[in-house]
Amino acid sequence: MRLRIALPCVQVVRTLAIVLIASVAGAETCLSPYVTRLDRPEKYLYVFCVDADAADNDFIITIDVDQTSPNYGTILHQLDLGSKGNETHHWGFTDDRTRIWAGGLFSSRIWIIDVATDPAAPRIETVLEDVTGQTGLSGPHTYYALPGRMLLTFLGAADGGLPAGMAEFTNDGRFIRRIDQPEESPYGYDVAVKTEFNRMVSSAFTPLRNYGKPFPEMSLSDFGNQLIVWDFKEREPIQVVEAGLAPLEVRWSLKPENNYGFTNCALDNSIYLFKGLGDGTYETRKVADTAALPADLRQSPDDRFLYVSCFGGDEIQQWDVSDPENLVLTSTVVPCVQPNMMHLTGDGKRMYVTNSLLSTLDRSGNFCVRLVRIGPDGMKVDPFFDVDLTKFPTGAARGHDMLIN
Amino acid sequence: MVFTAALLVMSPWTAWFGGAAALQGDSRLADIGPAPETVLVEARTEQPFRLADLQSEGKAALVSFVYTTCNGSCPATTHTMYRVQEELKRVGLWGDRVALVSISLDPKTDRPEILSRYSEIFGADPSGWHFLTGDPKQVAEVIASWDMWARIGPSGTLDHPSRIFLVDPNGRQREIYNLQFLDPESVVSDIRLVIEETPAGAR
Repeated sequence: MRLRIALPCVQVVRTLAIVLIASVAGAETCLSPYVTRLDRPEKYLYVFCVDADAADNDFIITIDVDQTSPNYGTILHQLDLGSKGNETHHWGFTDDRTRIWAGGLFSSRIWIIDVATDPAAPRIETVLEDVTGQTGLSGPHTYYALPGRMLLTFLGAADGGLPAGMAEFTNDGRFIRRIDQPEESPYGYDVAVKTEFNRMVSSAFTPLRNYGKPFPEMSLSDFGNQLIVWDFKEREPIQVVEAGLAPLEVRWSLKPENNYGFTNCALDNSIYLFKGLGDGTYETRKVADTAALPADLRQSPDDRFLYVSCFGGDEIQQWDVSDPENLVLTSTVVPCVQPNMMHLTGDGKRMYVTNSLLSTLDRSGNFCVRLVRIGPDGMKVDPFFDVDLTKFPTGAARGHDMLIN
Repeated sequence: MVFTAALLVMSPWTAWFGGAAALQGDSRLADIGPAPETVLVEARTEQPFRLADLQSEGKAALVSFVYTTCNGSCPATTHTMYRVQEELKRVGLWGDRVALVSISLDPKTDRPEILSRYSEIFGADPSGWHFLTGDPKQVAEVIASWDMWARIGPSGTLDHPSRIFLVDPNGRQREIYNLQFLDPESVVSDIRLVIEETPAGAR
């Protein structure tokens, strides 16, 4: 027997559905908007590690960051990645947060890591050994979740030169398609999507032929200084705009109605604003001078602050971006020498920090993971959270990108 | 202000890009891969339903995964599918060339009569919207074949990804949507595209 459903009941269900649509949002920043957000405080911090002398295999560590745990602040698990010399660098969750895609800048090898079966002890699900053969690209960098797929940026072509490009894969590693950059803008680095405006912005660094060299041998004339604005749905570039040299992270404003974002220009010691003009096009403008070599850029969940790690200046800066055209420096902190990657928690109160950029660029071997606590009076280093990355059985490790779970 | 002069106006852009188009292939919607074999029970008729039969009928399909006792994203997903249904009717595409399909993530609870009742609550038009359930083991295999999953989360309810799949009349996955950013008009535009790329009788 089928029930007759009264109209008011239908209306209630539909209203509930609309409310649920509106409430699907999360506070953790600097992830693809398609990634499921944590609905609780973090328990685990994953750190992607390069064996410092490239003599042993690279690995992933899990640090206990459950503040109620007796093992808080210690390494719980180490996952051997099975090969060395990869320059393990960046990574990203799939949309459902069950896998991490992680890659090597030197080897172009990609690991798909299962973090759902046992979040404390990630395991390798698949290793993609022929991404360069499939895509014609090298140096996989950004791992950006789309629904059921991953969008990857690559820093260069198969031969380690230019052009850079992007490619899409299914979450379990099947190659879907390559996305080419405009000929006049051949450098690549990061990418981020603003779904509300159907826009995607990609940034620029340098290819393997340059970043693979020791720092004194790198050519400053082989870095990009442009952002590419894309029609996201079409995956088609529509505009190239200039920023400072080596614009790295792309951070759209978190508010749906805001049609602007920021990028940190590593070799210009600056932050640039990219801003929509209302006709689908964008303009750029320098809005802050930072300390030396701003390497990473993070956002507070309330969209009020940017955090900039100044790898060359040995400090992290907090900028109030309430007025995106007039940034105000509100706090600085020195968590360690050469701070680089940061990862902010969903409540905006804790920021984990590592201090390796690239094995070709690091100038200190004091590798560690530190915690910066953030309050109304700015940033403070937690003196009790200090994970030493120099004393593994295989020696020191360069910790780079991080994710929490 | 550093506003670059590199704005690419449409005509030179098209010429400049030319054959080196941004995408490999002709369509703006990629070929993501084959839609998995899906053979389950249609809740209203309680008869076997085979997704591939839609392809033999020349139909595109929009496929969602929900369960009836969900008080998370499922009601919003099904309501959004309803909005797509209504938009398809408004533009005259409802009927011969497209079907909506909703697969249960909780077949033990979602027996045919319960799932059928759920479809009525959400205004699903049975002429083109099919709710599927079946033997739990078979349903679990179908769910996994779409790289979907459902498991008990910390709150004690089923946790699952929010994905809706567009399958073209050739049985290929062409787009995957996330509920939060799903716009019915845009979905209908995609449906129209994959239908136009596959003329009736051309499969």
